[in-house]
Amino acid sequence: MIATTWRVVGVGFSLLVILAAILLSGVEPQQTSFPGTGVGPDVFWTFDLRTDDLTVLLLAVVGVVSACVQVYSIGYLHERAASYTALVTLFTAAMVTVVVADSLFLLLIGWEVMGVCSYLLIGHYWERRDARSGAMKAFLMTRFADVGFLFGIFVLGIGYNTFRISELGSGPISPGALTAGTVLLLVGVVGKSAQVPLQTWLPDAMPGPSPVSALIHAATMVAAGVFLIARLYDVFVEAEATLTVLAVVACVTMLVSALCAMAAVEVKRVLAWSTVSQLAIMFAGLSLGTEDGRHAALFHLVTHASFKALLFLCAGVLLHQVGSAAFVVLRRYTRRGALRRAMPVTFVTMTIGLGALAGVPGLAGFFSKDSVVEAAWHHARDGSTIGWVVLVSVCLTAALTAFYCVRLWLWTFFRTPALAGALGAFEDDDPMADVDEPDTSKLREPSWLMLGPLVLLAIGAAGLGYADGVHVHWGVALVTTVLAVFGALPAYSLWQRGADPRPVVLEHEFGLDAAYQGAVVVPVRWFAKLAVLGDRDVIGGYVRATGRAGTLASQGFRLLQTGNVQTYLTAAVIGVVALAVLAGVIAS
Amino acid sequence: MTTALFSIAGAVAIAAAVLVVTSRRIVHAALWLVVALGAVAGCFGALHAEFVALVQILVYVGAIVVLVLFALMLTKAPTNPLPALTTRRSPFAAIVAGVLALLLGTGVVIAFGNEKIEPVPAGSATDVGTAVFRIWVLPFEVLSVLLLAALIGAIVLSQRKLSERSDRLSSSGKED
Amino acid sequence: MPLVLPLLLAVLLFCLGVYGVLARRNAITMLMSFELMLNAVNLNLVAFDAWRLDGLATGQTLAVFVITLAAAEIGLGLAIVLLLFRGHGHVDADAARDLVEQDGGIPAADGAGTAAGRTAVEKGAAS
Repeated sequence: MIATTWRVVGVGFSLLVILAAILLSGVEPQQTSFPGTGVGPDVFWTFDLRTDDLTVLLLAVVGVVSACVQVYSIGYLHERAASYTALVTLFTAAMVTVVVADSLFLLLIGWEVMGVCSYLLIGHYWERRDARSGAMKAFLMTRFADVGFLFGIFVLGIGYNTFRISELGSGPISPGALTAGTVLLLVGVVGKSAQVPLQTWLPDAMPGPSPVSALIHAATMVAAGVFLIARLYDVFVEAEATLTVLAVVACVTMLVSALCAMAAVEVKRVLAWSTVSQLAIMFAGLSLGTEDGRHAALFHLVTHASFKALLFLCAGVLLHQVGSAAFVVLRRYTRRGALRRAMPVTFVTMTIGLGALAGVPGLAGFFSKDSVVEAAWHHARDGSTIGWVVLVSVCLTAALTAFYCVRLWLWTFFRTPALAGALGAFEDDDPMADVDEPDTSKLREPSWLMLGPLVLLAIGAAGLGYADGVHVHWGVALVTTVLAVFGALPAYSLWQRGADPRPVVLEHEFGLDAAYQGAVVVPVRWFAKLAVLGDRDVIGGYVRATGRAGTLASQGFRLLQTGNVQTYLTAAVIGVVALAVLAGVIAS
Repeated sequence: MTTALFSIAGAVAIAAAVLVVTSRRIVHAALWLVVALGAVAGCFGALHAEFVALVQILVYVGAIVVLVLFALMLTKAPTNPLPALTTRRSPFAAIVAGVLALLLGTGVVIAFGNEKIEPVPAGSATDVGTAVFRIWVLPFEVLSVLLLAALIGAIVLSQRKLSERSDRLSSSGKED
Repeated sequence: MPLVLPLLLAVLLFCLGVYGVLARRNAITMLMSFELMLNAVNLNLVAFDAWRLDGLATGQTLAVFVITLAAAEIGLGLAIVLLLFRGHGHVDADAARDLVEQDGGIPAADGAGTAAGRTAVEKGAAS
């Protein structure tokens, strides 16, 4: 009953957000201010709201994705549904707060609420150890980054003497403060959007429910980082150094995470790494510092939201119907050709999603990625090193993306011609593979509650590319398509030979987790042990010593209680005499 | 004249008091107490407080010592000398008392060493009686209430427990 | 007559009383020593009365009051001594140590308390 109520509230809220986006589209940008509090003698912050094109765009994305996720969740999730739905609604509301905020502090509130919601939702299946640790990891890493974010707000707010976003970028500020503030903000963005070097929490957040992953990866959490830079673009454009840092971070991230995605053996993990990579492409577009770049990045944000939400919901269907999204389990169905036959809708929609991700011409991802490449090309032609670096990185990433998309698609849905692939290139990590032959006859499509959002998002993934007005730069399109084909061909040939070589470096995801374990986790544990020791043996020692001293003293005093009246009297008389002597001595 | 009388009575009082606190026989100690209190009454007389002296003799010698003797009888006090009449702490108690005496004596001598008591006219019960009933009426009445309370308290303390008595009554009732 | 004469006499009587209270074992002798101390106080009162001559006979009146108080005190004191004797079978203040601190904190009752307890228990068993 409570769950039903919350579901109605959740879906209704998402529809309300969409309605707000529709009503606000085309309205003149405006700000609304509510009374706030003073910070310091002459700096005030207020609960300001604003509406402009960016707000409307993000509201539409958030509304549509969260509506899809909410409807999908009705069919997907049955345990603890009330708290789950409430948290997803809160998550959406927090993202809406971030989107409409015109005050840095209001934005921070939404930002932090999102952090808490992601923690709670990733840990939804808290019975599972990996879910708990993944939630904790996400929380700690984003919280670590948020410290930088908070101080960035302080530096920028004090520097510009205002905390209103619409007034930032206009006042006088020293270049040092500007660079420091934006870099600190960038730390928060890097943590929230899982960029290098704080990227490891996002793949580990995969034990959470799939709809939540869709929401986090498409519309809310990680998109908030991109949104923030787009919102404060005027400020960031002023800070050259920050943009350079952003470009380097984005380029490294997109390549590293695409490489990691190539070696992942679980559908959701592949998708998680691809999210990191695609976000890096958006950041790369933003780091160009041009209006074209910002436009391209936001375009890619929208298309990515549709196809990534679609892909995660598809992965959720696999998890829901098959019970696992690991390649090794899926292969057991696929090698009888069961998966494609039993779930045609899922297959088609996922194909569209992967195609959009890989940049198949005509689908959404193709247009948005090409617009980033084009913006980079224009910038590079103007003689910018950053432009060249971004251009090369995005093109390389396009090839790598095609590789892992094709790999995922083929290995998940198709029988290999080669015998080795039939028996499985992935079964070395599942000793039970031969024992447990799955019953493929019971495999079927899920209910239309779950398929409906898939179809809707698939339409978006296919058609959103044309929403921006079709303008194709034929040279760029040719280059990226050729690169994508070059990326796809090795994947195809490997699949045909039934081989899936995974380099150890990529399987361990460049050893960053182990490095963090050694550099941060172990020392922190040592400090914790030290603190416990200090608390128990030093401070506790004093506490216990107080008690023991009291006990000992009272044991001594017990001896004085002889029960003999005359002893007491003697003591009293001695006391009187002593006091009299003392009084005499003092008086004389 | 009065000084000589006072000195004699005082010496007797001191000697009797020493015997009270050191005598091995308890009954003798009680009797020496009579002597000591009588001698103090003599001292009162030498100070021209004849009424107080008479009350002293009446109440102390006549009532209190008799009570003490009764108590000795009721507690089956032995009349033969006791070997362990004092506690093990008696030397220590003596030292404490000695130091106290030294201290108080020094203080008294320093404070009143040069004062003299002028010869006074013979005291009379009239003065004291007038004072009591004119000025000290309220303390006097309060004191009477206190005496009543002490009386009741002594009765309550010394009577047997109610339960014991009812025990005895019920058992005797059964026998009947 | 020098004032110090009665005062010194009072001091000596008082300290003898203190010694008696602290040193004598028998509870009744302790009470007797109390009487000595009270007499020392009376002596002081009367001596100062004779010295000051305030016309109100303050010292003498107070001395009479103190004597009255002493009567009340000895009455109560003897009642307590009798109670002690009835409970313990002796009046030895040195041996009456019911209030001594013991391990476990419950003083072992002997004498009347235990006897009463025992009769109570027997009664309970009989009924």
